[in-house]
Amino acid sequence: MPDWQELVRLRLSNLALDSAEKNEVHAELAAHLQESYEALLKEGVSENAAVQHTLSQVTNWQDLRRRIQTARAKENIMSDRVRQIWLPGFVTLVLSTCLLTLNEIFGPKPWVLMKVGQLPMVKVSIPWLLSLPLVGALGAYLSYRAGGSRRAIFSAIVFPVWPFLASILVVLPVSLVFDRFIGHSTAPIALLMALPAWVLAPGIALLAGGLAAQFLLSRRLDSRRTVSSAQER
Amino acid sequence: MIGSGIKRGTAELAVLSVLQDGPLHGYELARRIEQQTNGALRFTLAALYPMLYRLEQQRWIRGAWETSANGRRRRCYRLTPAGKKKLSPLQREWAELFRALQRLTKVAHA
Repeated sequence: MPDWQELVRLRLSNLALDSAEKNEVHAELAAHLQESYEALLKEGVSENAAVQHTLSQVTNWQDLRRRIQTARAKENIMSDRVRQIWLPGFVTLVLSTCLLTLNEIFGPKPWVLMKVGQLPMVKVSIPWLLSLPLVGALGAYLSYRAGGSRRAIFSAIVFPVWPFLASILVVLPVSLVFDRFIGHSTAPIALLMALPAWVLAPGIALLAGGLAAQFLLSRRLDSRRTVSSAQER
Repeated sequence: MIGSGIKRGTAELAVLSVLQDGPLHGYELARRIEQQTNGALRFTLAALYPMLYRLEQQRWIRGAWETSANGRRRRCYRLTPAGKKKLSPLQREWAELFRALQRLTKVAHA
């Protein structure tokens, strides 16, 4: 007979509830599975079929985990969004900005690709870009831990590039209208060039780390499931 | 296809109605609903518990651990006064909806 308590504990290990509440949910769901299993045995179903039938009650444990978290959360759905997107996103934004500032102060001079007057519009800071995969990985981890969906995790990872993209998208049309005050056709070109330097390159660096972290986290979960399935057999 | 709002509504009505007869633990609750609806409504674990927890958060039901005669600990759910208050209008609304649908299908067949 499978250890239902252990099975539920392994499959819902990343349930984001306090430990007492988490244990309570594990115990309750395990008791339900145990009763379903025993009822099937009483009906004359073979042990293997009873296990399979009982397990078929949950086709997606990650989805169940998310729905239990949402249902038991004291706050409303908005708080879920805060924990899964806004908070990890804010952490990645602050961290990436701090790293950029530290790099400007202590790091090597950035590679200036284009200037408008004396203002370096397009510059690339290699040490900063190299640090961004770690920031992306942290964003993915925080969102994943809070039960974030793939979309939420993606949003948390790329959060730091949104302010850059927004400012370019706002400043670009403004510079086109007020071109004569800014720099005779150079400003719009510089802004377009800023897009790969401030949005695409950091975005790719953040995604590289974030998606790798997400892959590793989901693999860790899969390996836990494999262990649990092996124990069931 | 039945929308998630309607599904949720019928599921909540089923749970609250069954709990009206007395406290039950999750497994027994699912079994009772299945029996009383001749198998038309079936709750798997994945469907039942998120809903029970949501109803508990809304304070329509209350869960408490109890030890049965055979020494097993189970979490039993009972209807709260707020749940009882919610049940009557819910039953009325659904009865109205079914009556309206019946009228509609009769007109369509006539």
